[in-house]
Amino acid sequence: MIYFDAAATTLEKPVLVRRAMASAVHTMSSPGRGGHPAARLAEETAYRCRTAAAALFGVGSPEQVVFTCSATHGLNIAIHSLVTPGSRVIISGYEHNAVTRTLHAIRGIRLTVIDTPLFRPDLSAAAFEDAVARGADAVICNHVSNVFGSIQPLEQIAESCRRHGVPLIVDASQSAGVLPVRMDRLGAAFIALPGHKGLYGPQGTGLLLCGRDAQPLLFGGTGSASRLQDMPEALPDRLETGTHNMPGIAGLLEGIRFVMQKDLESIRAHEQQLTAQMADQLHRLPAVHALISEEPACQAGVLSFWTEDRDCEELGESLARRGVAVRAGLHCAPLAHRTAGTLEKGTVRVSFSAFNTFRQVQVFKETLEQILREKVTF
Amino acid sequence: MEYYLLIARSVTQAQRMARLLEGCGIRAWMFRAPAALSNRGCSYAVRVRAQQWDAAHDCLRRSDLQPLGIYHGDGNRYREVSW
Repeated sequence: MIYFDAAATTLEKPVLVRRAMASAVHTMSSPGRGGHPAARLAEETAYRCRTAAAALFGVGSPEQVVFTCSATHGLNIAIHSLVTPGSRVIISGYEHNAVTRTLHAIRGIRLTVIDTPLFRPDLSAAAFEDAVARGADAVICNHVSNVFGSIQPLEQIAESCRRHGVPLIVDASQSAGVLPVRMDRLGAAFIALPGHKGLYGPQGTGLLLCGRDAQPLLFGGTGSASRLQDMPEALPDRLETGTHNMPGIAGLLEGIRFVMQKDLESIRAHEQQLTAQMADQLHRLPAVHALISEEPACQAGVLSFWTEDRDCEELGESLARRGVAVRAGLHCAPLAHRTAGTLEKGTVRVSFSAFNTFRQVQVFKETLEQILREKVTF
Repeated sequence: MEYYLLIARSVTQAQRMARLLEGCGIRAWMFRAPAALSNRGCSYAVRVRAQQWDAAHDCLRRSDLQPLGIYHGDGNRYREVSW
């Protein structure tokens, strides 16, 4: 199978990720729950994972690194910590449902959507600055669109937020492990990210990097301050209740080590080359419209395309039947499709990981070409 | 043997304290705090030998780590000491 769906989940993982998970299942119990070897090993693994993440993302202390079960989980904690009914919130026009549905569930929010065109970070930065200057209770912005791979001018947006004293929540779902995401440079209130995409950890893992106090979303046991019925004040315990996903955390630790060892720049360069090759191949196919930035620095290893005479889901199914995994439809991001003008037809998305090859891109193009020559049989 | 116990706010803080102290050349052991010293219920502690307490105190003071409580132990009883 050719797997071009890394924006959903990276399927191929470093071998050490699998080994660490398999070992954790029968050697680790729960961190903070005992002095016996199984608990101590879990504590040590969790701490190493927090420390590795703190180093990769420029977080001052491992206590600010909170384990979540996904980026969505982290975004929910962050949003519910800052946004209350009636809050003024600014978001980009490329947000995922993890942000928009969470906001929709809070009543009476006054929402400003920065719906500037694709691949125009200059316009986006200026529009955010204008909106933030008018005042807001929170800004929420993804670093990279999960549909189009467009990169937001995050440092400029963060600078606007700092200057005007507005807390920033960053959704780094598509950039963590690919682009530099630094809490110490951004000064964000929260950065949410998944473990199972660019960090090559397993599904069910994620991190919330906390730049400020947060409100718990879940309540229960933490292994600390057990007499108190309020959740502990100190991070990470305040936001981590219940038994930890130790196989997941052990796998995530190895995934983070893989990224650090391979180096962000080389991963980014590889994905950029794959994107450029894919863009070149798609441009050769008649009736295929690829949404690609003319400036490579504005796009990560995610791109969308649509065809004039094929339904995107049908095309995705046809590719799947021929052993090519992509994602078709709206990608849980109807707002992004609305902003880009693709809401009605949707798109086919291809997205890369460090394990994809140039040969796979060539085979993909040939497969797509063949499908487009055939009659519709869906 | 006399020693000091640093009560941590979380297992993660205890781990940080132990590593910080080790980095300052001070032997530190992390373990579950005695129930008698966990008035909030369930916590972790870091143990430091009395001979190294002054150095440990200096080391922690230079960081942002502040224990929840500090106790002096002599094998028979614990006495709370100020930070």
